[in-house]
Amino acid sequence: MKFILEGLTKCVPRIGALKEIEAHPGLSIETPMAMLYTRGGSIPHITHEVFKIISKEPQIIQIPMVSTYHYQEVMEEYDGNISEFVGLKDCLTCVSVQDPGDLTQPGHHAKDHIPLWTRSGKVLLNAEQYMNTVEAFKPDMYYFLSDGDTNAKSATKRISKSVENTVNFFKICLDRHRKSEVLKNSFVLSAIAGGYCTKARKKCINEVTKDDIVKGVLIDGLHNNGPEVEFIAFEEPKSIVEFIVNYLPEDKMRVVQGCWNPVVILKLVRMGIDVFDTSYCNLVTERSSALTFNFDNVSETQQYEINLRQNQFADDFKPIIENCACLACRKHTKAYIHHLVTVQELLGPLLLKIHNNYHFMKFFEKIREAIRNDTLKDLEDVVERQFMAHQRMLLNTKATN
Amino acid sequence: MSALKKLVNTTKMVTEKCPLVFNVLAECETTKARVGKMCLPHSDVDTPVFMPVGTQGTLKGLLPDQIDSLGLQIMLSNTYHLGTRPGPEILEKAGGLHNFMNWHGSLLTDSGGFQMVSLLKLAEINEEGVKFQSLNDQKSEVMLTPEHSIHIQNAIGADIIMQLDDVIKTTSPDKDRIEVSVHRTTRWLDRCIKAHKNPNTQNIFPIVQGTLYPDLRELSAKDHVRRDVRGFAIGGLSGGESKDDFWKMVHLSTGLLPKDKPRYLMGVGFAMDLVVCSALGVDMFDCVFPTRTARFGCALTMTGQLNLRQKNYKKDFRPIDENCTCSTCKTYTRAYLHGIVTVQTVACHLLSVHNVAFQMRLMKTIRDSITNGTFPEFVQKYFLNLFPEKDYPKWIVDALNAVNIKLL
Repeated sequence: MKFILEGLTKCVPRIGALKEIEAHPGLSIETPMAMLYTRGGSIPHITHEVFKIISKEPQIIQIPMVSTYHYQEVMEEYDGNISEFVGLKDCLTCVSVQDPGDLTQPGHHAKDHIPLWTRSGKVLLNAEQYMNTVEAFKPDMYYFLSDGDTNAKSATKRISKSVENTVNFFKICLDRHRKSEVLKNSFVLSAIAGGYCTKARKKCINEVTKDDIVKGVLIDGLHNNGPEVEFIAFEEPKSIVEFIVNYLPEDKMRVVQGCWNPVVILKLVRMGIDVFDTSYCNLVTERSSALTFNFDNVSETQQYEINLRQNQFADDFKPIIENCACLACRKHTKAYIHHLVTVQELLGPLLLKIHNNYHFMKFFEKIREAIRNDTLKDLEDVVERQFMAHQRMLLNTKATN
Repeated sequence: MSALKKLVNTTKMVTEKCPLVFNVLAECETTKARVGKMCLPHSDVDTPVFMPVGTQGTLKGLLPDQIDSLGLQIMLSNTYHLGTRPGPEILEKAGGLHNFMNWHGSLLTDSGGFQMVSLLKLAEINEEGVKFQSLNDQKSEVMLTPEHSIHIQNAIGADIIMQLDDVIKTTSPDKDRIEVSVHRTTRWLDRCIKAHKNPNTQNIFPIVQGTLYPDLRELSAKDHVRRDVRGFAIGGLSGGESKDDFWKMVHLSTGLLPKDKPRYLMGVGFAMDLVVCSALGVDMFDCVFPTRTARFGCALTMTGQLNLRQKNYKKDFRPIDENCTCSTCKTYTRAYLHGIVTVQTVACHLLSVHNVAFQMRLMKTIRDSITNGTFPEFVQKYFLNLFPEKDYPKWIVDALNAVNIKLL
């Protein structure tokens, strides 16, 4: 698998593509894009049968090790790779360490290990064990193990420790990758630790990007994952991401994980980030909401998101968005989804998830189009207006309550 | 060819005046089992049929497309739940439940009476109806009358609706009270028929009551048979009575009901019961079991149940059932399902699909074997598979004996 860019640039939005994928030779996946978020190997609420109904093209699913670690022993005996095992064999897989949708509990460090908070409790994972699991999973892509336990408030000591760990992990992972037969075609991304400290980031980049095996990088350690990430303002990571992107070799694919809101995503795209994930759609779905912000016509604003629990939708027999081509909007009404979420039936979050993922994927299509047409700023303005109006509305509701 | 012609005629009749036409297409020569086609306003239904329960206007998280590809022709919804939420006003505005949930197969609704008595401890029954404490915030006392039940069922718009009946605990020994319930059920039937606003598009089924007393069952059936209705339900069973009592009452009831109308045994859906009661001449079944048990990680197979939570499935790379063609068995291993059951909602969807597919497949096998004249052999083989040691439960041996099948 190769990552090919339309032009080599520093801190500007860019169009790229993953091509020459071993399992799908004719396929080209364009960036900027979002990997499909999974938990325990499943796209939350969406079975393979439903996935085939709603998605015609292969996509990349993100497999967080924290929610799949319990399959390691099983996968060692299974005659196939992780995408087959989880029932999504048409998808490409990318193994990540932590779950972007779930808060990663900080602390609990041990020398040469990172704590992994799995279903059955804390597992201390070292680079050898991590690579054993990756080898058992045989993914199409994976990140090297990293210590990403930093955020904007981290102390210097924690930051330098995270870099030290990540660099050590890198060496072991690289060595294991070189020796591995089953991983020889896997696309490797190294992780950059270093919190919000330019010196630490620089040190880490120097160590983990020089090898040709490394085709992409994960900018790790910006946050501790989970729902809080939605409310991180762009100003917080702006200067450190800018520094990292400027310092990185241009040809590496750049990934940022987490439930970033679409406004921050657009701004990160403008700085040259290539890959995100759909954990944000999951977050929105879990609060029974549907994304409704407009990105088609940059002069028109809509309500940013609607919460289907609200009684106003009880007799609203229109789809979430008129003209939306997703299955939920083509076949079902807001009144029905309102009913499903109020009586807590499983079909409610399923329909919302179908819509939110579709909307998010269309949003990324629009991002790529806007980069090509040089209209990214207009897109950002209209999305930001809708997002900010929604945040103001939420604050007002809170204040009046 | 003649059968085909007949079908075309009947379909026409359905759209005009009569919303249910039932044709018996084949009868087993040994047992009372039969294969029929029931033509309803929304679809034809092949009987004997199992109707999965979509309580609140959705079948356990399945998309209408998935329900169609499972070959479902009819499902059940609950009047009590739908009457509470979304409520009859919303359903009327939506143009009925079919439109609301965007599924265009056939639907059947219960009367809501059973839920009153089983879910609500404070239910009190008098001649007017069932009085219960509402689950809404006001905790007000609400009365469900036969008229009210039919009003909600008219708003839902199911192809088949149920009369409100006076439900007595099946194991109650109070014969006087049961006799009252039998007569009251018939009086309520007449009130339901009178209140029914859509007789041209919805069929009302009476419910044969009488719990475990043969004379009362007979009384109830005879009263109901005299009414102008197109099918009958057998109620008051599957409520904790012994299996010996259960099968005898089913056998008795199917004997009392006319052959040319469908017979619906309420609340029955375990695989063994479906096989035995099909032999006893039942045409329709419903049960929450296949979808409810899916939630707890149980998968149904021809040889029993798998509890996928058990550790022995951890490295079992086979599908749930190698002979099953459902989308779950085509894609997923027991090992993966073991890893997600009761943790990921996807597991619940996957097992619901499989368990409904299992019920559909079992019913198709029953129908095909009746049509082919091999039903008794199928029954023998089915139970031998389940009980290879031939330690058959006594009630099964007795029930099948009553319809001339001797197990191997």
